[in-house]
Amino acid sequence: MSGKPPSEHFRLLYFASAASFTRKSSDTFPAPLPISDLFSVLEKKYSGITKAVLDSCAVTVNLEYVDVEEESGKEKAGVVIKEGDEVAIIPPVSSG
Amino acid sequence: MTGIETFGEDVDFIQKASLKMHLSNDAVLRLRAQIASLEGTLADLKTQLQDAEAYYNQITSAKADANGHSQTQPISSYPVPSVNYNEKTFESLVEQLKLPQEDKWGRSWELTSEEHKRYGRQLIIPEIGLTGQLRLKNASVLIVGVGGLGCPAATYLAGAGVGKIGLIDGDTVELSNLHRQLLHTEKWLGLGKVDSAVENLMARNPEIKYITHYYYLDQKLAVETMRKYDLILDCTDRPSTRYLVSDAAVLAGKPMVTASALRTDGQLMVLNNPPKGHDHPGGFCYRCVFPKSPPAETVLSCGEGGILGPVVGVMGVLMAMEALKILSPLPQENEYQYPTEASNDTVPPSLLLYSAYSNPPFRSIKLRGKRKGCPSCSDTATITEESLGSASLDYDAFCASRSPAAPISANRISAKEYSEIRKATGSPHILVDVREKVQFDICHLKGSMNLPYSEISRNPEASIDKLDDTITSDPNIADGVSLYLICRYGNDSQLAANKFKDLSRSRPDAKYDLMGDISGGLRAWRQSVDPNFPEY
Repeated sequence: MSGKPPSEHFRLLYFASAASFTRKSSDTFPAPLPISDLFSVLEKKYSGITKAVLDSCAVTVNLEYVDVEEESGKEKAGVVIKEGDEVAIIPPVSSG
Repeated sequence: MTGIETFGEDVDFIQKASLKMHLSNDAVLRLRAQIASLEGTLADLKTQLQDAEAYYNQITSAKADANGHSQTQPISSYPVPSVNYNEKTFESLVEQLKLPQEDKWGRSWELTSEEHKRYGRQLIIPEIGLTGQLRLKNASVLIVGVGGLGCPAATYLAGAGVGKIGLIDGDTVELSNLHRQLLHTEKWLGLGKVDSAVENLMARNPEIKYITHYYYLDQKLAVETMRKYDLILDCTDRPSTRYLVSDAAVLAGKPMVTASALRTDGQLMVLNNPPKGHDHPGGFCYRCVFPKSPPAETVLSCGEGGILGPVVGVMGVLMAMEALKILSPLPQENEYQYPTEASNDTVPPSLLLYSAYSNPPFRSIKLRGKRKGCPSCSDTATITEESLGSASLDYDAFCASRSPAAPISANRISAKEYSEIRKATGSPHILVDVREKVQFDICHLKGSMNLPYSEISRNPEASIDKLDDTITSDPNIADGVSLYLICRYGNDSQLAANKFKDLSRSRPDAKYDLMGDISGGLRAWRQSVDPNFPEY
């Protein structure tokens, strides 16, 4: 899961139902990528993931929470994922 | 949100036998189990007393012989150990800590000699010390849900000496709970989880006051119930109750620890800490982090998704530790305890992730704190005690947690009907089991083939190709063969049937003829055809 992504890429970690949906614990994608484009990149690769997982999940960049909806609403200068970043998809776990 | 018992009032564990009982066989079974257990404890105590008396009498008579006196009178109770700490020192210490010896509720701010012994190992930890222990003794915690999270959390909090522990759960103990729900044992199968937990906790620490609530948390009672406690632990198991516990704790002005676990993942957060009040905006709440509930059809229970015992166990244990930190915070200026950095900083909002098979297994996410316009905890909150009480706020609708009605597929047959098809000669067919491979490997009907629904929904064309290949490669199967679908409970097979039906337009050449799916799935098969088929 961990390890350095190839150059000009970032690593995306999948937790809980995101890992179940993609059947993976991580992927690498080309960087830079505006965070507002992250969901459409994922939807292209994993059809249906937006509705099933992404709409209700938390997203972090380098272990910091990022509000994708808020970032997407910005005209410009939203968060951009950089080369070597660790991004994570964290859906709520509700069992116990 | 169902099964609400009418015991709206708190019932002390000690009083409950005479106060209330379900007038049902459950009550009889539960009482029998409790009496059997208590009789065993009583017999043990009697033996211990006999031994102790014999030993004491032996010593006193030996002493008397040595002194030449005739003090041979046997004693009938334990000797009271003499108090050997300096009364003055202790009083001045209590004064310095600015703790009342007895507060307005008559609670004592002293430890008994037994408590010094019982809590000795944590008393000498500077983070706890006498102040911390006294705070714990006078604190109360409400544990919502006595399952995989609630059991370890309650165990450590009872062990640590939290004075009052309330337990809420309307569920009964099942065999499939025992691999992770540590307070429950086989003799409690079919009986209430709350009673099972209290008996076990009493055996660990009878000094604690246990309050039992025999129902699932109800939104009408939630805020009122929480007001009676200092801290809330969310040990529930579904999205709707997670939002309810968070909303109610904010309204009741109580801090809360929430944790969850599924499969090999766990999450932990401390919410509404410090609590929202007149003079403080309060900490963030569950809605600040997860404003939208995941779609109901993607939410799995432990029964559906599975859970590893140590994963949920570690989350429950971490909850207990966060609870201790909240209930006995590090004092800022206290000569008896060294100040640490943490005591001076406010804890940054964070979400702890545990992912058992990842490397590293723990990750701490830095959160943003309160969400602007949060309907629960912001200045413009719209969720009120009234909206909870009047049930105008519908948690099930918000989480759509009622099972979504699957679109009706044209052909469903019962397990019984399908068993007739299997028996009839000259009715060749294919049975496709759409459960995940790991479940198919545990048990399946003879001759069935595995094609998980997750694959069918992800790549339907490839699934049809796979079926066609199977039919082509087997000379015993003719084109146009009948196809039946089955799963664990009859939900996924129906979704798969609908998927195949939708695709029949684009793939009219498929080599099978979809006849339908088996209503109720393998559970129905076990119930109405083969009772020996494994239940897992």
